[in-house]
Amino acid sequence: MYKTEVRGSLIHGNKNYHQISSDIIAPIDQPIPLWWKAAFGVSMLALLYGVIAIYITVTVGIGTWGVNNSVAWGWEIINFVWWIGIGHAGTAFSIFLLILRQKWRTSINRAAEAMTVVAVGCAALFPGIHMGRIWLAFYIFPYPNTRGPLWVNYNSPLFWDFIAISAYLLISASFWYFGMVPDFATIRDRATSKVKKAVYGFFAFGWTGSTKEWLRYESLSYVLGGIAAVLVVSVHSIVSTDFASSVIPGWHTTIFPPYFVVGAIFSGFAMVMTLMIIIRKLYKFQDYITDSHLNAIAKILVFISLIMGTAYATEIFIAWYSGSDYEMFTFFRNRITGDYAFQFWAMVICNAFIPQLFWFKKVRKSLTMAFIISIFINIGMWYERFNIIVTSLSKDYLPSSWTTYNPTWVEIGFYIGTLGMFVAGVLLFFKYIPMIAISEVKGVLKATTLNPTDNKISHHE
Amino acid sequence: MNSQHIISVFDEEEKLLSAIHKVKEKGIKIAEIYTPYPVNEAIEAMGKKSRFTLAAFLFGFAGAVAVLAFLMYTAVFDWPINYGGKPTNAFPSFIVVTIVLTILTITLASLFTFSVRAKVYPGKSFVMPDERSMDDKFIMVFNKEENIAIPIDLIGLLREEGATEIIQKELQPLI
Repeated sequence: MYKTEVRGSLIHGNKNYHQISSDIIAPIDQPIPLWWKAAFGVSMLALLYGVIAIYITVTVGIGTWGVNNSVAWGWEIINFVWWIGIGHAGTAFSIFLLILRQKWRTSINRAAEAMTVVAVGCAALFPGIHMGRIWLAFYIFPYPNTRGPLWVNYNSPLFWDFIAISAYLLISASFWYFGMVPDFATIRDRATSKVKKAVYGFFAFGWTGSTKEWLRYESLSYVLGGIAAVLVVSVHSIVSTDFASSVIPGWHTTIFPPYFVVGAIFSGFAMVMTLMIIIRKLYKFQDYITDSHLNAIAKILVFISLIMGTAYATEIFIAWYSGSDYEMFTFFRNRITGDYAFQFWAMVICNAFIPQLFWFKKVRKSLTMAFIISIFINIGMWYERFNIIVTSLSKDYLPSSWTTYNPTWVEIGFYIGTLGMFVAGVLLFFKYIPMIAISEVKGVLKATTLNPTDNKISHHE
Repeated sequence: MNSQHIISVFDEEEKLLSAIHKVKEKGIKIAEIYTPYPVNEAIEAMGKKSRFTLAAFLFGFAGAVAVLAFLMYTAVFDWPINYGGKPTNAFPSFIVVTIVLTILTITLASLFTFSVRAKVYPGKSFVMPDERSMDDKFIMVFNKEENIAIPIDLIGLLREEGATEIIQKELQPLI
């Protein structure tokens, strides 16, 4: 339960229900600000660069990338795992906190879920294009075909991955949409322009707010929450089996599934923090996204950072303890020292050390510091994926197949394109969708407002 | 067929709840309650229960059986492939796909059920007794004809309970 006397009120500024609707819908009603247009323009340019890179990849082939026979997985898989990780937190945030009945989720879940949907969309592009002939991508579906019928290999983690990512995208998008239906109805009922009324009315699916609807809405959200919690854990475990079920040194490890899940939630929460700070600043939502919201995220980050540090230490310890020369080589000669030492230490410092600054209340309270640290975590998590993929592949069992890997401009363009796609998606979300779940915030308003009379009683007797 | 309805508007959740309590005590039938967010007491007062969890379980069960059966049929019976001498019935590795697709089945089927049961779907024509109910008002609606036999001044009672507005108008049957 949320103890208002202890933790302060969840929503500041003595709001009433009408004010909540007005405040949250305001960005939709107001004209598009200049910074929005500028940011959208830049993101479109980035996206264009990505589209060109994809066009070249598709028309010429994977040979335009820097990948080779040894390092067959390059930036694409790094970026795929990175985006999926970011996409993880939205659902993790929303679902775990829903099941645990954490009331502070209400101001943040909508943006976190939006982030999930866009990030998973970005992630899904990479393996699709990495398969080579994108026009034959449908071969991965087990459908009655004219090739035998030759079915797909259900024992392959790559197939599991395909299933997991598509299911995750579908489920998180429908969970997100389902939560927005009442808010679309709020916009519809307040809209003065006919076009807006018709558009939001269509998306509101005839929602009226009757008890019949709310009853089912509540039951369904708990059912979906409970069931999607399993998915959050399983999706990234499945991503980790892409690596863990192989025999490459540094990958062949049982720690991978939990390590990937925690890492995903870590990077996702960091991205939630980045996003919430931006929303709060640009749209002046400090009454809804309060300091204590950001404080709570910072505390979760410091805790997960400790788990990450422990996981890194465990991997290194096991490499030594296993007595395997190859594991020893990978960790001590190719990660901690050697060609890729910079990437290794960037990962450790960004993920395990820098977030420890959140132990200090001053750092947690400072928006600038929190913002910078959240960016560092995202960089660190990118380096973590680089470490796992490139260091293990570039120097495997046979020194004759050792090689180095450098991305080409096409690969970099593809990544920048997805960054543009993400930013554009988030900007569209800012403008056309209520960024905070209106009905949910209203639902917790009374229960979490500090009543002046209660306040007096709660003091020392 | 349209019928005469009494629409009472409340500003506060507490006042709505106490009004519900009073009205029910007198044996008056409430046609529907509209709130800006889910109010559990109001849902309970309407005497409805949801069996979503049971439905979700059944969807999940059916989904799991169907997925496993499909995997077995394709990989073991229809076209067994030798992957390095491993058994074709690789049951443990079927589980991963089964779990994910079961969750997908539950989600999609539950959403569909929700759409059907709560009658929430694109292009639905709906009756909203008061447009402010998704903003900041709590609306309780009574069908006049249903309560015609009860000799009580309902409007007076609602005013006493703190209804800020009481509107009488003809509405289509509330779905």
